[in-house]
Amino acid sequence: MKKGHGEEAKAKTKEGKGIGKSYIQLGLMVLPTLFFSAFLIYIVAWNLWLSTLNWSLLHSKPSFVGFGTYAAVFNGLFFKVSIYHSMIFSIGLVAIGDAAGLLLAGLLYYLPNTQRAVYLSIFLYPIAISMATNGLIWDWLFNPELGFGWLTSHIGLPRLNPLATATSTTLSMFLVEFWAYTGLAVLFYLASFMSVDKSIVEAARIDGAGGSKILFRILVPNSMNGFIVATALLFLFSFRMFSLPFVIGGGPTNLDLMTLVEYVYYQFYTEFFSESAAASTIITAIAAAVIIPYAVYGIRKWVMRG
Amino acid sequence: MASVRTENLKKIFKKSKSEVHAVDGITLTIPDGQAFGVLGPSGHGKTTFLRLVAGLEVPTDGSIYFDDDLVSAPGRIVVEPEHRGIAMVFQLWALYPNMTVYDNIAFPLRNAGMPKGEVDKRVREIAEELGLTRVLDHYPREISGGQMQRTAIARALVKNPRVLLLDEPFSNLDAAMRDGARALVRRVQRERKLTTIIVSHDPADIFSIAEVAGVIINGKLVQVAPPTEIYDKPANETVAKLGGDINVIDVKVSDGIIYISNSVKLPSPIPKLEGKFRLGIRPEDLVLSDSADVPGMTLVGRFKVKVSSYVAGIFRTLVSPTDDDSIEIFANTNGYVEPGSEKNLLVRLPKVKVFGEKGESLTLARS
Amino acid sequence: MASYRARLAKYVILQLVGAIAIIFWLTPLYAMLIDGFKTNFEATATSVFQPPVRPTLSAYIAVWNSMKWPLINSLIVTVPVTLLSGVLGAMGAYFFYVLGEKHPIVGNAGFSVISLATFLPVESVFLPLYRFEYTSHMVNSYWGLIFAYLLFYIPTAALLMSIFMPVVPRYLIEAARIDEADHWTIFWKVVFPIMVPGFLSTLIFVFVMSWNNFFLPLTLTTTPSMRMVPVEERYFTGGYGTLYNETYAAAVLASIVPLAVFIVLGRYFIRGLAALGGGAKGV
Repeated sequence: MKKGHGEEAKAKTKEGKGIGKSYIQLGLMVLPTLFFSAFLIYIVAWNLWLSTLNWSLLHSKPSFVGFGTYAAVFNGLFFKVSIYHSMIFSIGLVAIGDAAGLLLAGLLYYLPNTQRAVYLSIFLYPIAISMATNGLIWDWLFNPELGFGWLTSHIGLPRLNPLATATSTTLSMFLVEFWAYTGLAVLFYLASFMSVDKSIVEAARIDGAGGSKILFRILVPNSMNGFIVATALLFLFSFRMFSLPFVIGGGPTNLDLMTLVEYVYYQFYTEFFSESAAASTIITAIAAAVIIPYAVYGIRKWVMRG
Repeated sequence: MASVRTENLKKIFKKSKSEVHAVDGITLTIPDGQAFGVLGPSGHGKTTFLRLVAGLEVPTDGSIYFDDDLVSAPGRIVVEPEHRGIAMVFQLWALYPNMTVYDNIAFPLRNAGMPKGEVDKRVREIAEELGLTRVLDHYPREISGGQMQRTAIARALVKNPRVLLLDEPFSNLDAAMRDGARALVRRVQRERKLTTIIVSHDPADIFSIAEVAGVIINGKLVQVAPPTEIYDKPANETVAKLGGDINVIDVKVSDGIIYISNSVKLPSPIPKLEGKFRLGIRPEDLVLSDSADVPGMTLVGRFKVKVSSYVAGIFRTLVSPTDDDSIEIFANTNGYVEPGSEKNLLVRLPKVKVFGEKGESLTLARS
Repeated sequence: MASYRARLAKYVILQLVGAIAIIFWLTPLYAMLIDGFKTNFEATATSVFQPPVRPTLSAYIAVWNSMKWPLINSLIVTVPVTLLSGVLGAMGAYFFYVLGEKHPIVGNAGFSVISLATFLPVESVFLPLYRFEYTSHMVNSYWGLIFAYLLFYIPTAALLMSIFMPVVPRYLIEAARIDEADHWTIFWKVVFPIMVPGFLSTLIFVFVMSWNNFFLPLTLTTTPSMRMVPVEERYFTGGYGTLYNETYAAAVLASIVPLAVFIVLGRYFIRGLAALGGGAKGV
């Protein structure tokens, strides 16, 4: 009995040590993630702080001005232009990319597996290429002599010059953006369609519904999550567009194409640091407004299930 | 209404390196207006057969005819499912979750371009018949399992189909609801004289609804007969087991006597039989008694009770011959029987089935 | 039932739309692949759509010198970043998963933070980051780059792994705890082996995204020798009298690595993307 008691006590201490050690391990494991995430938050906060100063080329010893910098920024032409561009590109992509993605996903839904995988890869490969490279590729495609212009002039139409005017440049950029990111919408809508119970689709077929009826009456109404995710991600990817206008516009100062993010860089480049920080904060706020519902939605949908 | 005929119907699935013969040469005619049941173990091809008839699967070989029109041929669908005039009730009912019960039922009618007034009339008629009028405005997620099933049936019937297909329609209902559901389907089928094919692994579904039943084992049609015949005169051991509970034990036959053990025996229903065979007898054809004389029953021998329990509404008692403990037989009894007690076992001789070494029924061959 | 004519017309239109979509999407790839093989003369005379008459490697040879170091730099940075992010992020995801059951606040907060970090535009926080690195003398160094990359990609990896985590049933982890395994053992012996497909998807996604990252190397490197591939790319715009054969050759060299990954392991990349959006179910 004495022996048993001793062993029991020994086991307890081992267990006690084990649990303690285990929690320390758990803590260590999450440390890098926490550290880097915390650092990121620290930077966001620091950014916010910087935006309340008037630090720039003109004020190398900055002082606190509260909303002063923001006011200056809002009044500036460059800001107005760039936020206008950012909004067009983002909201435009969401609208058109969503619709196109939905329709293309509907087409892909009816294909056999191997073909579907191939076509999906075709729509998605632009994401595997850096946007800067994409910009270069399309830059030449837009060339009036050697690109699309050559094609159109050869079939009797006027020589196309997509980068001629401000409007056409904006549209051309939009085209590239559409080409690069619509694949995302296709992917998410397709995933959503395929999660609809197959027997419901079969029942609809037997009930006499054709392909498009099934798509719009059955698949789409049951794909709310596909819509939410496609919209959120299309917006987020397009909102941070920087390298594309940078490359096609030849630098960050092309007013025709300047996006909000370029504006941030431009201000930094020209040493108007607080202005840059202010614009960054605005970007962060807008992005957060989209990300947070996504995170909430994601938490409810995926992590809670586990 | 239409008759359904298949000729040497085959469906082969290729899985990485092996082939699965889901449906292996089925030739069958279901006359116009008949309720036909398809019975078989799970995974043996019943559902595949049904899906072939529906046009949801392409035959690897063989053809399918509705009346005299070819609807499926080897390697191709001649008439698409949506043009066959069929209705199907799926195992999980496949109701459209984003539509109300009303819209679910109306869906096939609207697809056919029926005018709105007519649609409304028909939907309300069928809802009334199936007791769904109160839930017409509700969504599938808001109603009970029984209501969902009736909605699925309503959706199927509302378009006056030529053929009605049912795939394990009751397996997702509570046991208590199944009898009512079976009665409903039977009534609806008989009233409309609707050609119906119902697929199930539960013999109770087949018995309550089908006029003729086909047993599919390993993709092949093994027996086609009215359900009572399948129950009483199964073509082989597997069919006997599918029809309901049955005891199957190894026996020796010689000199016209079947020996279960040295002291337990009964007269052989088949003369001139010699050797080792398997005996089949259903628990309801056995009686445990203290007396040796029960009208209509033949005494088999002395048995010891091992365990007695209550299962699905009846008392079931497991017994062994007193001289051989390794043989176990279960019989239906009127109540609890004390384990360890000894009783006489009597058998209803005409119901005894004898199976040969390949499982084929020898008693069936005789009759 | 629609008439035969109407159905045929619909079928033809759909095929046409599909064909146009495919051609539209593949045209840039087509141009990129064929035009890198043109001679300088062809690059001035023919359009980007015409295949080379005499394919040659001259353009590739010409750009190789400028692309060589960026390619190496990119490898030096992205490979460690990918591996570190993957492993560290996975551990973080494990933490949230294990603790999230009893302390939902921890789980939710963690998930929100890593979501934010994943989707926050890099550009929106770079100013303080640059200042930090500048004062710490980390600008224009491998360490500086790796640090900055990790800042964004560890949370990204943690997010992806969090989404793949539910593949491991909680009761398995509980059983291991009862078997007196400590968390380190549970992670490596129980959880990680089950999560290998999700881990691969995370690795591939992080690799492609970090390889293609333009902004971080743009702002955090100042000398040509430290440039990474996407930044080097921009010097091939037509504005400097560059010929498009060199542009496209450079484009191919820049994208060959991520594209190869996409083609060979595309399944995993797509699963990574799908996870971001629709949960861990495959397409």
